Amino acid sequence: MAIAANVVQLPDTTYQANRNNDEIRELTGSQILCEALVHEGVELLYGYPGGAIMPFYDALTSYPSLHHVLVRHEQAAAHAADGYARATGKVGVCVATSGPGATNLVTGLATAFMDSTPLVAITGQVARSAIGRDAFQETDVIGMTQPVTKHNFLVRNTEELAAVVHEAFCIARSGRPGPVLIDVPKDVQMVKAQYRPSDYTTSEEFLQASQANAPRPADHLLSQATELIAQSQRPLIMAGHGVILSNAYSELRALAEKASIPVITTLLGLSAFPASHPLFIGMPGMHGPVHTNHAIDAADLIIGVGLRFDDRVTGDVSGFAPNARIIHIDIDPSEMHKVKVATVPIVSDAKVALAALTDAVAPAGKRAWLEEIRSWEAAANERNQSLQHDEALPDPVGILNAIYKATNGEAIIVSDVGQHQMWTARFYRWERLNSHITSGGLGTMGFSLPAAMGVKMGVPDAPVWAVAGDGGVQMNLQELATLQQEGVAVKVAIMNNGYLGMVRQWQQFFHSHNYSETPITSPDYTKLAPAYGLTGIRVTSCDEVEAAVKRAMETEGTVIIDFAIESEANVFPMIPSGKTVKQMIEK
Amino acid sequence: MTNAAVPRAGYSDLPRGSEAVHVLIVLVEDRPGAVDRIVGVLRRKRANTQSLSMGRGDAPDVVRITALVKDSDVSVDNLAEQVRKIVDVRQVTNLTTQQAVIRELVLVKVATTTDNVHEAIAAADQFGGVAVAITPDTVTFEVSGSEEKISKCIDVLQAYGIREIARSGHIAIAR
Repeated sequence: MAIAANVVQLPDTTYQANRNNDEIRELTGSQILCEALVHEGVELLYGYPGGAIMPFYDALTSYPSLHHVLVRHEQAAAHAADGYARATGKVGVCVATSGPGATNLVTGLATAFMDSTPLVAITGQVARSAIGRDAFQETDVIGMTQPVTKHNFLVRNTEELAAVVHEAFCIARSGRPGPVLIDVPKDVQMVKAQYRPSDYTTSEEFLQASQANAPRPADHLLSQATELIAQSQRPLIMAGHGVILSNAYSELRALAEKASIPVITTLLGLSAFPASHPLFIGMPGMHGPVHTNHAIDAADLIIGVGLRFDDRVTGDVSGFAPNARIIHIDIDPSEMHKVKVATVPIVSDAKVALAALTDAVAPAGKRAWLEEIRSWEAAANERNQSLQHDEALPDPVGILNAIYKATNGEAIIVSDVGQHQMWTARFYRWERLNSHITSGGLGTMGFSLPAAMGVKMGVPDAPVWAVAGDGGVQMNLQELATLQQEGVAVKVAIMNNGYLGMVRQWQQFFHSHNYSETPITSPDYTKLAPAYGLTGIRVTSCDEVEAAVKRAMETEGTVIIDFAIESEANVFPMIPSGKTVKQMIEK
Repeated sequence: MTNAAVPRAGYSDLPRGSEAVHVLIVLVEDRPGAVDRIVGVLRRKRANTQSLSMGRGDAPDVVRITALVKDSDVSVDNLAEQVRKIVDVRQVTNLTTQQAVIRELVLVKVATTTDNVHEAIAAADQFGGVAVAITPDTVTFEVSGSEEKISKCIDVLQAYGIREIARSGHIAIAR
């Protein structure tokens, strides 16, 4: 047999990946898995070994270009890979063993799925002969992760393994990105099969080849959209995460400037458009500022780009943008008419659609409409001054400003979930593109610390700040050990109010101040951080804020600053869940 | 079938009050978990599913799933897009009941005596029902056809005492 004659037998543990080596080789499943990851350009993996994934970890030591980060809990592996993916635009990779290892990934996969982040998760599975026998550490990971992945694979044999890996990367990256899980039975990792890199198409090759087939805006829809823009007196652009995912920053800006349309960015759209731009008017929804929500209420046209009209944006849909027609641009056809029936549904990549629309629209001068929105903004700012009553305490806006100043606006901010997340979204100045990373759709507490680690490892030159509440930071606090072990310098700002603040705020408004299980204590971070070999600072006065932030920037390695903020400060304004702008609580 | 009709007030402005039965024909690769994914999407998207059946498709590696769902046009269009997103799905056809030929196969086991067995067979015969199994005290009929024909046949057989009914779920093909 001609093929067999080409087979090169290699010792199992000494093989080095070599992309130029295109001979047919006989490798174990684990080696093929590593080869395919290298072939995909993977450099970083976050994971945790265990019984069913041990053959993979055995092969891993022979592939020095694959840097594996040992997290302290698999959930953090998924979040770190997620942060890495969001910051770099590459696919994040995480690895776990079967059973509890895989189930621990689930929250991270769901987080990535809701926010359309490209991830590939690799899980070990019990041997094929043991599947379905309730074997030790066996769980139905395929069944369990189906609703929270874009796709998942149970690898049936070693021969299909390489193809599955490349297909997984293709699926994770193409169209609307998302997480893909590959479940690899232990014996599939151990059995040998023939492997030749050139037999497979990488996701990069596939995407470049398929670019011509990418969804593009249909001409008749483009002309309808152009017509609506021409007729509109009070148009708004609402930009979502899709603008960041498709790298459509300059196209968004070009359309806004040419047609003189004010721009709103959703929570996940923040930092897709510079905050200082005269056309930027903020974030919509439950905790969006007064003028932004009034603008939506008064708009006669909304151009929604790469967003899904989430209920935290719309509130009661029947009362959302009641006077507006909707141009909805999204790469995912199933987003059309899911929540808000679109007048003009355009299924397309945001970058392509925005460029086409910019070409088609007529230039417009500054609109009186923008002045009107600015007057609402000025009036609301006058009404609602400070967040806190006690001005001697560090206040959230002051902390955010100090971070901005100490980093010259170059920081990437990774926020957790809760009050501090909304303050950060509202009050940080998003000048650097793609500098805001948060768990928007799933609202996963504990996201920020591991995600910030992934961000920092993906963009090592940028200062990376995790901004967290005292609740969320304790949900994945074990990752301080990983940060220390890897020597990754994440600066952590804890807005510590001694409460699960957002829940407390809801209890205050909707449950008659019944603070059920929301008071929460914290460790002494000035002792905890040194115990991990890191630096901890506590700040109790607003005068110390700037100096502490500056010191954190000057200190090597990960630094935690524990800011004692006012215990019962609230996030205002607030539109109660399921209500409209008419029921907005301003203070 | 799996879900009662659910209100969406507050969470969508999809039209209500214009619900009608639609036929979704899904061709899906016969891979592990593929059918689960489709059923999972119908459940998660709270499709008002009236009937669900599956069998071999045209090709040996393809499963054909027929789902009857009741909702407004735009909601069913959206549901079809949700199903289309599943990687294993090759094709989704969304038909109105007028655009489709819809059939169901039903087995009806009826209690009979030596006195009325011939009468029961004759009664079923009016609706194309064929006796496929006879025991001393039961006759099992096979009936297939439209919803209307099947329910009329079942009505007539009620008189003899129905022991058990097995329905295949609907299958459909575009006209």
